[in-house]
Amino acid sequence: MKLQKKGLGAWGIILLVMLYTGVLIIAPILALIFGAFSEGLAPALKTLGSSIFLDALWLSLKIALLVVAVQTLLGTIVAWIIVRHDFRGKAFLKSLIDVPFAMSPVVVGYMLLLLFGRNGFLAPIIEPLGIKVAFATPGIFLATLFVSLPFMIKEMIPVIENLDRSQEFAAQTLGADGWSIFWRVIFPQLRTALIYGMTLTFARALGEFGAVLVIGGGIQGRTETTTMYIFRSLDERHFVEAYSAAILLGSFSVMIVLIADWVKRREEKHQSQVETIERL
Amino acid sequence: MKSYRSFLLIIITLIFCLTACSSGETSQSEDEVKLILGAYTTPREAYGELIPLFQEYWLDKTGQRVIFEESYLGSGAQSRAVVEGFEADIVALSLEADVIRIQNAGLITHDWKAGEHKGIITTSIVNFAVREGNPKNIQDWNDLAQPDLEILTPNPNTSGGAMWNILAVYGAALRGQIDGVPGDSPESAEEFLKQVLANVSVMDKGARDSILNFEKGIGDLAITYENEILVGKSSGQTYERIIPTSTILIENPIAIIDASVDKHGTRDAAEAFLDFLYTDQAQEIYAQHGLRVVNAQVAAEYEGDYPPVEDLFTVDYFGGWDQIMGEIFGEDGVYNRAILQVQRGE
Repeated sequence: MKLQKKGLGAWGIILLVMLYTGVLIIAPILALIFGAFSEGLAPALKTLGSSIFLDALWLSLKIALLVVAVQTLLGTIVAWIIVRHDFRGKAFLKSLIDVPFAMSPVVVGYMLLLLFGRNGFLAPIIEPLGIKVAFATPGIFLATLFVSLPFMIKEMIPVIENLDRSQEFAAQTLGADGWSIFWRVIFPQLRTALIYGMTLTFARALGEFGAVLVIGGGIQGRTETTTMYIFRSLDERHFVEAYSAAILLGSFSVMIVLIADWVKRREEKHQSQVETIERL
Repeated sequence: MKSYRSFLLIIITLIFCLTACSSGETSQSEDEVKLILGAYTTPREAYGELIPLFQEYWLDKTGQRVIFEESYLGSGAQSRAVVEGFEADIVALSLEADVIRIQNAGLITHDWKAGEHKGIITTSIVNFAVREGNPKNIQDWNDLAQPDLEILTPNPNTSGGAMWNILAVYGAALRGQIDGVPGDSPESAEEFLKQVLANVSVMDKGARDSILNFEKGIGDLAITYENEILVGKSSGQTYERIIPTSTILIENPIAIIDASVDKHGTRDAAEAFLDFLYTDQAQEIYAQHGLRVVNAQVAAEYEGDYPPVEDLFTVDYFGGWDQIMGEIFGEDGVYNRAILQVQRGE
């Protein structure tokens, strides 16, 4: 099919796709921006400087970064084990990874309460140790970890499957130890997927609401995350506060996505250069 | 190639650093005390003003700074959170049944209803918000059963406010205060409740969500707390308040959670806060935020804003909360029977 000869129908479909994605994504964002600055810049900036908001933002960022770190490390290991090893229960493990996708975050929060609440199954163990999970930061961390579990693993599995093992064998033959094989041969091939997985995990962690509200209780200044802050501000009819907080949170996510995109493109460019050189 | 190793190093350092800095819980000390308030959603604007006043008062009196941690959830959700381990020192909830749940879990051990006002801090009534100019000409309960009316009321399974609304309709009908509904007849009262429920277009999970949706232009009428309407009006909303001839007196309890204050060592400050909330100064702030108050002197002062109700009844009319939770909101209770029939289209 030649590119130049597009029928009216094809154009129609392209226009529809553009409208669909454009309107669906850009229109609400524009509305948000107008809402935030409806009373000028000052009220919006005042919100972003208030200590309650900064507490919430810091908590969200802290949790998101921690979750990304854990998922990057453990997610890669899980993906590696799934691809490279055969064991009983592997199929089960693979489908287990999809569970957080299918489950409502609110239910996730309640499940954690059932485990860690005052009458929870694990209460007899954690109470004597003086560890607080429910209505405290660890609970929020666990809930976020749960809902963001699949992203890293799902991103890594296909990449690890496609790894060229002859390179590893070659490196081994040339006398490289396991450590340098990983860093010099394997890791460069994983890097793009790794960054992409980290991005998705970060965005998901930052945006989580239902699960963290149930397990955290939304205590201002302690377990209130940015999404809860936004929700509460809307409830209190503090629309400017809600909108400006939402814009800031949104910008973080957009920024991360853009960075990941940039890295990905740079990597692809690099890849094609390498291929050209190889052909020469 | 070194950059990869530093990449790993950064991640590991991050994990350690972040775990380290997230585990710093403050403890009570001579010059600082922390109170945790778990409240239902509607009076939060009032607490926004009350808390700074108490902080000032307590600092003057004892030289101790009070730090507040506040959480606002639906009354039922808040009560369940406390039972599940949210260590609030004080709960301010919509209805007594939610405090009793905490008491039954063994977390409140003192007689929290022993005081002059029986543990009730504010009151309100169930009434209607209608569009500006009352275009549908709603005057009383019987107007709510007319066809083509869209009503908003929250879901009684999640919202304390919703339970008050149901009690108000059903009670007014049972008391023979609704035109065309014979009094003292549970069957007719339930039938009328069904007619009203059939007009309900949106059931939100809380009173605030419900009135906010009304503000967005959904529905002709919202059944809600009087204070929701007054707070909304004072923030520039143009809807109007209609007080029906007969309605229920909403009584909002407040209580200290013994298990929490003993664990945190905050009993003195918590009790002082509770006492403070009954002072003229504090009660006036509640009154300015749309709530009817229990302090008689302040109530008299704000009489103009809070017209009397011709036929005002309380939960005692139904025989108290135990009866209500069984006969009206129980699994085979009046409400569930009515809503099921409405959903089936009977």
